[in-house]
Amino acid sequence: MTLLSQTIQYALSGVTIGSIYAIVGICWSTVFLISGVLNFTTGEFAMLGGMLTWAYANAGISLGLSAGLAIITSILVAALLERLVINPVRYPSETTYMLITIAAASVIKGAILLTYGTDARRIRPFLEIEPLNILGATLVPQVLVVLGVLVAVTLILWFFFNHTLFGKALRASSINQIGASLIGIEISRFRLFCFALAGALGAISGIVFAPISFTGYNLGFMAGVKGLVVAIVGGWTITGTVAAGLALGLVESFAAGYISTGWKDAIALFAMIVFLVLQTVDFSKRLRRRQP
Amino acid sequence: MTSNRSFRLNLSWLLFLWALLFLPFFIRSNYVISVMLMVAIFGVLSISMGLLLGQAGMFSLAHPTWFGMGAYIAAILSVRGLTSPIGSILIAALCVALLSWLIGAPVLRLRGFYLANATFAIIIIAQIAAAQLSKLTGGHEGLLGIPYLTIGGFVFKKDLHFYYLSWALCIGCFWFCSNLMDSRLGRAIRSFHDNEPASSTLGVNIARYKLQIFVLTAVMASLSGSIFCFYLRFVTPESFGFPLLVELIMMVIIGGIESIRGALLGSFVVLWLTEFIHAYLGKILPVMTGEVDAIFFGLLIIVVLIFMPRGLIGWIELVLNFRRKRYGKS
Repeated sequence: MTLLSQTIQYALSGVTIGSIYAIVGICWSTVFLISGVLNFTTGEFAMLGGMLTWAYANAGISLGLSAGLAIITSILVAALLERLVINPVRYPSETTYMLITIAAASVIKGAILLTYGTDARRIRPFLEIEPLNILGATLVPQVLVVLGVLVAVTLILWFFFNHTLFGKALRASSINQIGASLIGIEISRFRLFCFALAGALGAISGIVFAPISFTGYNLGFMAGVKGLVVAIVGGWTITGTVAAGLALGLVESFAAGYISTGWKDAIALFAMIVFLVLQTVDFSKRLRRRQP
Repeated sequence: MTSNRSFRLNLSWLLFLWALLFLPFFIRSNYVISVMLMVAIFGVLSISMGLLLGQAGMFSLAHPTWFGMGAYIAAILSVRGLTSPIGSILIAALCVALLSWLIGAPVLRLRGFYLANATFAIIIIAQIAAAQLSKLTGGHEGLLGIPYLTIGGFVFKKDLHFYYLSWALCIGCFWFCSNLMDSRLGRAIRSFHDNEPASSTLGVNIARYKLQIFVLTAVMASLSGSIFCFYLRFVTPESFGFPLLVELIMMVIIGGIESIRGALLGSFVVLWLTEFIHAYLGKILPVMTGEVDAIFFGLLIIVVLIFMPRGLIGWIELVLNFRRKRYGKS
């Protein structure tokens, strides 16, 4: 492969994985903005989507139907999670929510491990087309599906949050929970909705990604962490998250290609730490102080 | 309140220490000794993590990393024969102190869950580094051939030796931590846990104290990690990752996040519970790994956080207070 085709190949895989990070990141930010819960089970829903689709398809149900069933199951799991775990907490605090969702994530992961074992699974691609060739780089058709899903998710969410009454109410309650509840918005029901939405989106991201890469019980952890990185760097907004997701995907893919595969996760996480720390430094003040 | 926290030798503590000291003479089972030894090693970890989470209110999750670094540095130094085992433990503690100071200085500017995320990332980065630097650390296969721990000619070979060593460290840490909370540093820590702006207006240098307590707890974790590696004589990157973090969180939560005694109790309860789960469910379930344990412990954390947020210690205190009020005795 020439350098050009190699670069295109890395860029393609970067954009693909980046779109997955972006969708998972959107899941984090939807839940976090509206309910203030940092939901560590987010990544597990991406895993649930892939694994359940595989399980349903394995049981003889057609691929499209099993994907739909997997999404519905994930929504149910997410709703149950909110009702049984998040809602009953008596002394809510950031710490409690975080610890309790970390615990819930390990429960979901363990349950899948017990049911389906440790083997890596693969589901059939949705588009039965031959891989395309762009300047010597191969484009798997499933990549187009992933990109299409990212665009669709972004557009639908943008429309939902900006042009529907329900979406606007959600945004209002994210800005001021007490104020929103005073004007008759029921926060608890909104939180349930957000968890379900995040569950569905996570499952979708897992489903579209499963044909490209293998899916297994331990896939959710890294997907979740990367989604969190992306959501934080993107400033908890949809556009920011998508941009950060694609950027992270590209950086990671080039780092894996030109530097080292093993270190790529470390590079991404290191970037997050640097980003977080830099945000605490007020550069404008420092520069002003230096001037006489 | 204050006298309640500091560690004084009263009757119940004497009884506890006496029981620990003579336990190996009453129960001659190697199994019980080996589990109690792990209780002490993890007790050090959970005490120091509880100090950070509960007393200082700093949501730092990097403890598995300090534990792992203590283990790895001590193991590498003694495998290569660069220092004696006891020297390697001390050098590991120094290295961890330096590293945690270097990492803590920028990272502790963060607060709340941003701090948690950054420290969580540190765990994963450290794990990747341990797996990738395979020339130094042996990579995924782990590091083998760690020599026996010797202190002044005495060779630590049996579980019994490590039992006394690790409990000595654990009680030492306990004593240190409880007295620390009554010192100038401890009072400063409690004050900024409750209200940061208020304590900084009273002249508490929050950044400095945060860094101090961060480094102190990291050193404790490193010491217990070094003993852990000499006990198992084998280290892998997998032992210092997310499962260990969940286990530590569980110990701190189940025991009671607000007290140092609770952390030790949590370590005891969690480790024995793991043993029971393995003994009774191992026959029913096909695979028994850390992840299967995590199901039960995840459920347990959820139940404890919802129904008894102050943990076992909080519950015990509630019962004792009730008795005191009802019957007028202590």
